[in-house]
Amino acid sequence: MAGKKLRRVGLSQDLCERLLRHRIVTCQDFLCLSPLELMKVTGLSYGGVHELLCVVSRACAPQMQTAFRMKTQRSADLSPAFLSTTLSALDEALHGGVACGSLTEITGPPGCGKTQFCIMMSVLATLPTNMGGLEGAVAYIDTESAFSAERLVEIAESRFPEYFNTEEKLLLTSSKVHLYRELTCDEVLQRIESLEEEIISKGVKLVIIDSVASVVRKEFDTQLQGNMKERSKFLAREAASLKYLAEEFSIPIPFLGDLSFMPVGTTATHILTSSSCLPVAQISLLNPKPTCPSLSWKSPTRCCIATSNSECPGLSFQNDHFSHFPYLV
Amino acid sequence: MQRDLGSFPLSPAVRVKLVSAGFQTAEELLEVKPSELSKEIRISKEEALETLQIIRRDCLTNIPRYAGTSESGKKCTALELLEQEHTQGFIITFCSALDNILGGGIPLTKTTEICGAPGVGKTQLCMQLAVDVQIPECFGGVAGEAVFIDTEGSFMIDRVVDLATACIQHLHLITGTHMEEEHQKALEDFTLENILSHIYYFRCRDCTELLAQVYLLPDFLSEHSKVRLVIVDGIAFPFRHDLDDLSLRTRLLNGLAQQMISLANNHRLAVILTNQMTTKIDKNQASLIPALGESWGHAATIRIIFHWDQKQRTCVVCTYVSSKVILKGTLKIFLLIFVTVTVFEHSKNLKFYFLTTVFLRREPMLVHFFASCTLRPKYLLKHRYGNFFYMLL
Repeated sequence: MAGKKLRRVGLSQDLCERLLRHRIVTCQDFLCLSPLELMKVTGLSYGGVHELLCVVSRACAPQMQTAFRMKTQRSADLSPAFLSTTLSALDEALHGGVACGSLTEITGPPGCGKTQFCIMMSVLATLPTNMGGLEGAVAYIDTESAFSAERLVEIAESRFPEYFNTEEKLLLTSSKVHLYRELTCDEVLQRIESLEEEIISKGVKLVIIDSVASVVRKEFDTQLQGNMKERSKFLAREAASLKYLAEEFSIPIPFLGDLSFMPVGTTATHILTSSSCLPVAQISLLNPKPTCPSLSWKSPTRCCIATSNSECPGLSFQNDHFSHFPYLV
Repeated sequence: MQRDLGSFPLSPAVRVKLVSAGFQTAEELLEVKPSELSKEIRISKEEALETLQIIRRDCLTNIPRYAGTSESGKKCTALELLEQEHTQGFIITFCSALDNILGGGIPLTKTTEICGAPGVGKTQLCMQLAVDVQIPECFGGVAGEAVFIDTEGSFMIDRVVDLATACIQHLHLITGTHMEEEHQKALEDFTLENILSHIYYFRCRDCTELLAQVYLLPDFLSEHSKVRLVIVDGIAFPFRHDLDDLSLRTRLLNGLAQQMISLANNHRLAVILTNQMTTKIDKNQASLIPALGESWGHAATIRIIFHWDQKQRTCVVCTYVSSKVILKGTLKIFLLIFVTVTVFEHSKNLKFYFLTTVFLRREPMLVHFFASCTLRPKYLLKHRYGNFFYMLL
């Protein structure tokens, strides 16, 4: 909408050419100028400029909706509002599961099971709706090359043995998961921006990004001054595009953050706070013994905290079901 | 009227032609007819008429200005303002401590900024206020409608349904004990459907759409004259990632702030803006301050900053608060101690300390003055409040 060319707004031809000479081509350029500058550029009086502003604003302003209309649309909508994670305690805490149409951040220390969780979610998304899935394809953007197709098949077989009893069904599920390997920040951003076409053409119902933090950590060294700003800008752009995709197509987008531990004396705190104002829901996987990460995946229970955002204290509970992931020892 | 032609809002081409034809002040132009003007400076008759109308309109409004009232000046005495302020409504937040600090709730005809760390509840408060503004007048509300401009996409319709249902239940409880006719009648209109239909929602994805929407707001508000609340949830988000040029950003933000203030005054509504927090690194110490810079700090009349204090939310209100509020019982003593300690900390001067305590005891209004001198809004007013929405589910 911001990039809408002034030609298509309905302004007269010579006015458009005049603006072009001053390099004002899109609505964004037009609205960023003050009325005095506009008077100089268009040669109109103050009243005329005001009218012109209204015309251009009407071309790019969003549509008005009353909250009532939103509610009726929501209830009339056939697609489900949540993707259940099949872990009952987590679903209860999230009031249904991973919300469709918004972003969910999953954070945790290395080795606690985030990627496994995402692989499980991709299996769930491909399931038919009567089994609680979204019956669609999955776009999996992998930055750490941690995705393993064999693991996907293994999880599918052990989790839903009655459904995946034939070879065919397993192959069908694996063919629905589209994997994209991106290794730099720019590539990730480009991939997100081109995702719209893939979503429409392949019927994607779930987008997973594994992980946001690793590319950012690799490229932006927080010790250097200017990098914090660049990093925040990059994250904000990424989040804005993801939010747009989530809302337009009503799909859930879980992405992996990362938990780093602050030095001794404090409990785990999130370092990727610049993005923490953006996601709507955040699931943190914590281990009961954070000081010995090598033992972490052997411990039977995992503690999971679901918060509405990073810094607020949220609901926490122990969940035994994570142990049901069969791990390769 | 000896006013120079350059000060009128004419189009530049016409102005240049007028000056080259020898016209310098408005008085010379008032005697000329449109057709004569168009022939003399070679512009079309319509342009000539428009020019003369602009000049006549501005000149005629100047003369009565010296005599008394005028449209463009909006003069009134402080007494009239006092009467207005007494009768003007507040939008309650359903948190008694916060309402007490603000002197009744969010005031109309002023801009309020709500800042806080992510997850502290700014959007929840905005959604609550969008429901509260619709409370009928016999229950102490403002009976208005709400405009919600969302830039972050955090508006949850299910949550608004919960809030509205709870508010209706709360009002039903009140009528249950009072049993008055007009209360019953007002409550009939206060249904979930009506509440939701009177929240006008705009989703702006970037700063261009936000600017466009704000330009169109005056027309929208003239059509929907019952709107008493405009919420912009997330004024920081589009300006932080979209714009690289900081001076452009400052200019746009200031323009936006001015437009908001004029909307609040002209249409008698409350404007609420939500801001994010950013980290300021000052001599190896990092602290959280509201985003968008120092100049934005002056934009809103009232600034409410929320913090997390272990598991409790605390809020700091940075504004002038009427003395009625400060004089409420124990809060007064608490406040006096706080302020004097702060002033002492800053000055480290014992004599100054004693002087200020004497002063403050006698002049409650000076409390605000000394507090603002400390330049640390954290100490202005600090008040804990517990359960955020005590009437909700």
